[in-house]
Amino acid sequence: MTRTAAFAREQLRAPFTLALLVAVPVVFVTVSAGVLADFAVALGGSLAADAASTLSAGWAAAFIAGTLGFFQAASSRGADRRLALAGAGSTRVALSRVSASLALAVVAAGAGFAALVLRTDVAHPWHAAAAVLAFAVIYVAVGIVIGSLIASPLEGSLAVAFVFLLDVFSGPGMAEQAAPYSVSRKPADILIAAGLGQGSPGEEWLKLAAVVAAALAVSLAAFAWTARSRA
Amino acid sequence: MTPAIPSAPPALATVLRLEGVRKSFKTGPPWHRRRLDVLRGASLHVDAGELVGLVGENGSGKTVLMQIIVGLLARDAGTVERPARLGYCPQVPLLWDKLTVDEHFRLFAEAYDLDEGAAAHARTQLLEELSFAKYLDYRVEDLSGGTRQKLNLALALLHEPELLLLDEPYAGFDWETYLRFWQMAEDRRQQGMAILVISHLLAERERLTRVYELRDGRCEVV
Repeated sequence: MTRTAAFAREQLRAPFTLALLVAVPVVFVTVSAGVLADFAVALGGSLAADAASTLSAGWAAAFIAGTLGFFQAASSRGADRRLALAGAGSTRVALSRVSASLALAVVAAGAGFAALVLRTDVAHPWHAAAAVLAFAVIYVAVGIVIGSLIASPLEGSLAVAFVFLLDVFSGPGMAEQAAPYSVSRKPADILIAAGLGQGSPGEEWLKLAAVVAAALAVSLAAFAWTARSRA
Repeated sequence: MTPAIPSAPPALATVLRLEGVRKSFKTGPPWHRRRLDVLRGASLHVDAGELVGLVGENGSGKTVLMQIIVGLLARDAGTVERPARLGYCPQVPLLWDKLTVDEHFRLFAEAYDLDEGAAAHARTQLLEELSFAKYLDYRVEDLSGGTRQKLNLALALLHEPELLLLDEPYAGFDWETYLRFWQMAEDRRQQGMAILVISHLLAERERLTRVYELRDGRCEVV
């Protein structure tokens, strides 16, 4: 039995968590996408209705993946650190924890994308699917970083919500010009383009891959650093 | 002819040695920072085959000292010499709620680098000694507090460590398990394991080789 399999099993044994992973993106995409375009205009953004629908799938997947990523890291930190000190090593435990948490991202992104396809026609469905997955992976990483540094459920979940809100309201489509600290800027650009019926060039995909890789690397480093031996 | 000199008993190897360990914490908001000196030069040692107690009032720093020995906390000053193969039984069981007892044994056996045969043998022995074999397939979230504590202790013993660190290990044990715990500790001590038991109140002093009291951040033999 590998650690990763055990950690993934741990998540699958929480049926309410799985239900939330599916329900939140589906409800968000179905119910709130229509309001987002009006909201964006009020903020000075230029989000068209089709782009708003596709972007809502990314945000929904990001929010639930980030929140659950945080709780995965924070709730198991004591046992994870004990295992690391017992000989498993902080880097290997971090790899297992992050790999297992990616399953959350896949489920959240799958639910968000399925709801999107049911709600609207997407001209570039594979582009949209990849971008929604990137949203979820980036936010799982955000959740793990926060969960590695903050143990308190209240403070940690508020921190995830703060990053998410800052990201959403300063990101492409919502703000007139996206802020440089918007962590989901790249997947949002690709998702908006897919919603407007345009593909994204290879350069954009390379940048997206770099952002996702950087997010995962930071989450691994944060987890391993906090679980290291101080002896 | 020179008379034979009776040979001295072999010196016991020191397994754990702490010298002048210091640890402070900063508390309060930045504009009203206070420094709390928990350990002010704590020193102690435990030899192979010794069962040593560490007592102290609530908040005296026993768990902080334990966490420094294990590597969960960094010390500000002092030295800690300890073996790589140690077992740690924390005060609050550190377990995964959704995993079973068996899955815990497997994860820790892998971490301790035990081969399958050795891990299975040790697991069976511990399940019998602590009488919780019937819970092997139960998830931790479905166990009572006492059974969680048994698993917590068993995981620390799985690899027969050179040094066993126990932080109030019998909280939640019934009387029978409490007695069995002391018998297990005594059996392992006789086999050469060094054991440090931390408690705020040690009622079983006659079982211990030596007792340290942690007071004002220092350890004194009492």
